[in-house]
Amino acid sequence: MAITVTPETFSFVSFDSAYIARIANLVAEQLGLTDIDIEIAVDETSPLTRIDVEVTDSLISIRPLSGALEDTRRPRQQSELATTLAMARSMLRARDRLRGGFENAPLDTELSLPQAAAWDTYILGRITRMSIEVKKQAALYNFRNRHGFNDASDHVFEKIWNAETFTWDELSALSANTLTLSA
Amino acid sequence: MKKFMPVEELARDERFNQITQADRMSDARSAVPANAESTRRSSNRLTPARADASDAARALMHGIFVGEIQALEGAGRTCWDFTTGEEAPFGLKLDMARQAWDEARHVEISLKLGDWMGSDVGQYAENTVLFQAACSNDPVLRLAGVNRALEGLAIDVFTSMKEFGEMAGDPYLEFCEDWMLADEVTHVKMGSDWLRKVTENDPERRKKALEFQSIVDKMFSYGGSRSDSDESSLGIARRFRELAGFTSDENEHIADLGLQALEERKAQIREKQAAAKN
Repeated sequence: MAITVTPETFSFVSFDSAYIARIANLVAEQLGLTDIDIEIAVDETSPLTRIDVEVTDSLISIRPLSGALEDTRRPRQQSELATTLAMARSMLRARDRLRGGFENAPLDTELSLPQAAAWDTYILGRITRMSIEVKKQAALYNFRNRHGFNDASDHVFEKIWNAETFTWDELSALSANTLTLSA
Repeated sequence: MKKFMPVEELARDERFNQITQADRMSDARSAVPANAESTRRSSNRLTPARADASDAARALMHGIFVGEIQALEGAGRTCWDFTTGEEAPFGLKLDMARQAWDEARHVEISLKLGDWMGSDVGQYAENTVLFQAACSNDPVLRLAGVNRALEGLAIDVFTSMKEFGEMAGDPYLEFCEDWMLADEVTHVKMGSDWLRKVTENDPERRKKALEFQSIVDKMFSYGGSRSDSDESSLGIARRFRELAGFTSDENEHIADLGLQALEERKAQIREKQAAAKN
């Protein structure tokens, strides 16, 4: 496994590429992604938090905007927790696509907002169980924004949050059913 | 108790990290593309349709929370900093005391909304620009800076958040923002009324106050984050501003300032990004 991070030195933010690589390496080991190369390209010109992930059989390509790795209390400084979360979210998404029953999931750019929220909930629930600090209430708020502010939506959130082995078909069906219940 | 407290001496516990407007503006990154050929999204409006809507709403909610703390401190300081009768009429100070009471309630509501949306106190940096506008030695300039510019911004922010709650179907957010918005309209109205009354026979002082308001309004456009352009995350809530005593001309002036601030910020970003690349 080779992990590369670009840029090597940052001009817009005070990030450390070697530190990002070390964190990525630890997360990849925890997730069993030691047999595939990982390329991380940070776009340091945007403070937003989006992360694009692309996967082939031999390469996981992670492209975060700098806000995804940033300490929100100290603008332009890197956060260890945010970096860890960004790497874990991206790699779990990639692992789901590679070997987690998500082979037929649409491309990230083609996911609907509710589908993306449901998948993110599934990812964050598993990250919590890796003993990485996750704000569950924030994830719940995002799920409610996409599936409705009601008990049925909260019930499905809990189900997804606690799940370990969903397939894309199961997850997308749950998301679609919740939207129907909320309508 | 000390009078005319500078912004550096605001009392905060270790959860808070304060930054100045200068810190914020020195950030060369931009959410909005500085170049037309960029493929990044061109609309920055805060709506649920944005993929990062929940994160963005949470960050704005925290900004509202610290803004309410600073508005409380500003109104409270105006009650204390000026001698009753000689420097500020009793009625004006009474209104500022009422405003402090309102702002204290808003702090509590915003705190609860932060919990609801999943953020912690101090999770985001606190920009102290709002209190800076409340540090003038002239109570009339405080009215212009705090009640008309700052609370005017609050009308724009609360309108955006209320609409966000309405579109997302979040009943608590919509309800709370609506109630706070009503208070903010009252605060602006108090500022408009007192500004007119206190400067009734002093056109020079009124002119100075309105000039100060214009400067603060531009500062509060935060480098173009409030304007009629879709590139700004906040729009201008003209209807509620009119209810609060802003004239159509004043609203247009604020809209122009916002667009001007946006273009200046984009030019600044282009310059900084070019410098960073070289």
